[in-house]
Amino acid sequence: MMAGAWLCLLAPLAGALLITLAGTHISRSTAALISTGSVFVGFAGAVVAFVKVAGQSPDNRENLSTAYTWLGVGQFKVPMQILVDPISLTMMLIITGVGGLIVWYSIGYMKGEDEERRYFAYMAFFVFAMLMLVMGGNLLLLLVGWGLVGLASYLLIGFYHDRPEAVAAAKKAFIMNAIGDATMALGLFLLIAKTGTLDFSTTFYDASTGQLSSSTVNLVALGLLGGAVAKSAQLPLHTWLPDAMEGPTPVSALIHAATMVTAGVYLIVRTHSIFEAAPNVQHLSAIIGGVTIVVAGVIALVQWDIKRVIAYSTMSQIGYMFMAAGIGAYGYAMFHLMTHAFFKALLFLSAGVIIHHLAGEQDIRRMGGLRKVMPYTHAAFLVGALALAGIPPLSGFWSKDGIIASALAEGGALGYTLVAFGLLGALLTGAYTFRLYYLVFHGPPSDLVLEHSGGHGADDVADHEAHGHAEGPLSMLIPVGVLTVLAAIGGLLVIPGVWEPFLNWIDSAVEPLVTPTVAQEYATSVVAVTIAAVGIWLARRAFREARELVADGAVRTTLEHKLYFDEAYDALFSRPAQLVANRLRDDVEEPIVQGSLGEIGAGVSEVAGGTARLQSGLLRSYALVIAASVAVLVVVFVAVR
Amino acid sequence: MLGPSTTWYLAVAAVLFGIGTTGVILRRSPLIVLLSLEIMLNASNLALVGFSRHFASVDGQVFAISVMAVAAAEVCVGLGLIVAFTRRKMALDVDTLTELRG
Repeated sequence: MMAGAWLCLLAPLAGALLITLAGTHISRSTAALISTGSVFVGFAGAVVAFVKVAGQSPDNRENLSTAYTWLGVGQFKVPMQILVDPISLTMMLIITGVGGLIVWYSIGYMKGEDEERRYFAYMAFFVFAMLMLVMGGNLLLLLVGWGLVGLASYLLIGFYHDRPEAVAAAKKAFIMNAIGDATMALGLFLLIAKTGTLDFSTTFYDASTGQLSSSTVNLVALGLLGGAVAKSAQLPLHTWLPDAMEGPTPVSALIHAATMVTAGVYLIVRTHSIFEAAPNVQHLSAIIGGVTIVVAGVIALVQWDIKRVIAYSTMSQIGYMFMAAGIGAYGYAMFHLMTHAFFKALLFLSAGVIIHHLAGEQDIRRMGGLRKVMPYTHAAFLVGALALAGIPPLSGFWSKDGIIASALAEGGALGYTLVAFGLLGALLTGAYTFRLYYLVFHGPPSDLVLEHSGGHGADDVADHEAHGHAEGPLSMLIPVGVLTVLAAIGGLLVIPGVWEPFLNWIDSAVEPLVTPTVAQEYATSVVAVTIAAVGIWLARRAFREARELVADGAVRTTLEHKLYFDEAYDALFSRPAQLVANRLRDDVEEPIVQGSLGEIGAGVSEVAGGTARLQSGLLRSYALVIAASVAVLVVVFVAVR
Repeated sequence: MLGPSTTWYLAVAAVLFGIGTTGVILRRSPLIVLLSLEIMLNASNLALVGFSRHFASVDGQVFAISVMAVAAAEVCVGLGLIVAFTRRKMALDVDTLTELRG
């Protein structure tokens, strides 16, 4: 069983290394096949491990496998080990399964792109890094994966390295993530200082039995939360995610929807013992999630870039997962993580099909009427959008409503506030998703759409289809099709009160703190679906009346500036730092450091010039000096004695 | 102990060392300078052997033998240099051989 898990971890690494080392000896399509194949081999390994673990008794599904001692400093030892339990298996299946589909999709999407091989090596490397993160059997390996994932994301966002915006976005993502990495590392240092180890079991045991002081636990939990917030693009470290859309679309689907951004949720669920020992910090994460749901939702209402709308929606949906993890509804957090991976990857990939079809256009103002030109993509996108909005029986409905119901079950001021956030989020989700859907797919075809559908209008679509799928290459359409099915039926793993295998599966690894009653589930569902339908209706009405959901004015301007987060960070951090740096350069570096260097050089050179004159090259004078010196030494020696 | 006392050995060694030093300082031919250096080395060898005899220990003799080996090597280098000078028709005068001036 462990062989399957190790295979899952190492296959993508081997794929990445093979493509890198083979360089130009392999063709571009071979590189693509190696990359896709290695990720699917990883998926097979994960399935093998899953079957074995699912057969184990629910109380004993924690499988730790140690390869060797990776690091040892005195008493502090870190083994290279992997942990295979329901949480990491769920993540492994999502990462390699959805990831494999996305890499496969990339074959068509990236065709003809320069440096395809580099792209596929990065993709396989990313999958490896993400697996390292979720499979790492102790906190240090988790941090290793955390850092590698940040690196892979930097490389992939900046893949178009000749585009300044892409390079800037890559740097922004890296720096924002580095803030989180730093707080997380500080938390781990504190943990090492207090417990002397980074083992999951030991640290969790110490945290849950109160062996650590409450301030320690709070600080460690805050550090971990900082890492989670940065990686998952939650407020206030979220500004990198929309910019990260500069990367290729499959990258957005893989990193910024399906896998990497959910790492924060995984971290909270994985280290739940620490968070439970610091309930205030755990509730803080729920509140951060709740606020992010609403903030990202309102910003998404006014965006014009198809990928940015989906990016803000990702932030918002991860807000739900944070909310669930923050109140201890771990099963629902993981469930929403999974269904979100399905429908958000689907939305990104269908958006990618559209962008590919329209030769790179991402502005939804230039789209329209695509429903008849691209019927297959339209159907896929609609399924994704309905799943995102939480319309039954699609996947998003089951998971999102479960989270809101859990908040209701939590009760108290916190619980009801979160319910309010969640329901408001449902309204916003319906509104922004269907604003996007109507603008892209409905109405008369725009000039751009007509141009790219071969100059003929909707009448010739049948002719179009007769020539196979003109919407894109099959390698793009098949993954979209698979994801459409998953997004449609993925939610049926949890039907409250009837059939809850997914929740039981996760609960066998981590006991939830709140469990909503069946009545709460269905009551929430009715309300949430109604609210989402209102959101959809608002979007539809606005589209019919050819107006925007948010009218022009101060509110719209604020939203278009994304609530001025970038401007605020610029004024608060970037500008003062630049000011200090400039002052230091002008007042310290140039006059003192550089000036003194010149002076020191001149002085040394002068002294050396004087000394050099002593070196006459006259052998006999050297001999005389030596003899005289020895004589003097002898005299001194004798005299002193 | 047979023979003259250690003081005499040391006196002869000192005289030889003085002669050698004087030669190194005063003579200008590199060949003679080398010869003078050999005299200085042998003066120290004599002193070493003298002490060795005085203390009835072979340590000094061991050192004397290694000094001889080093001296032989040094003479090889020195004579090689002198041959090279001669081949290049350079003046055999240490006062004119000042290429290493700083």
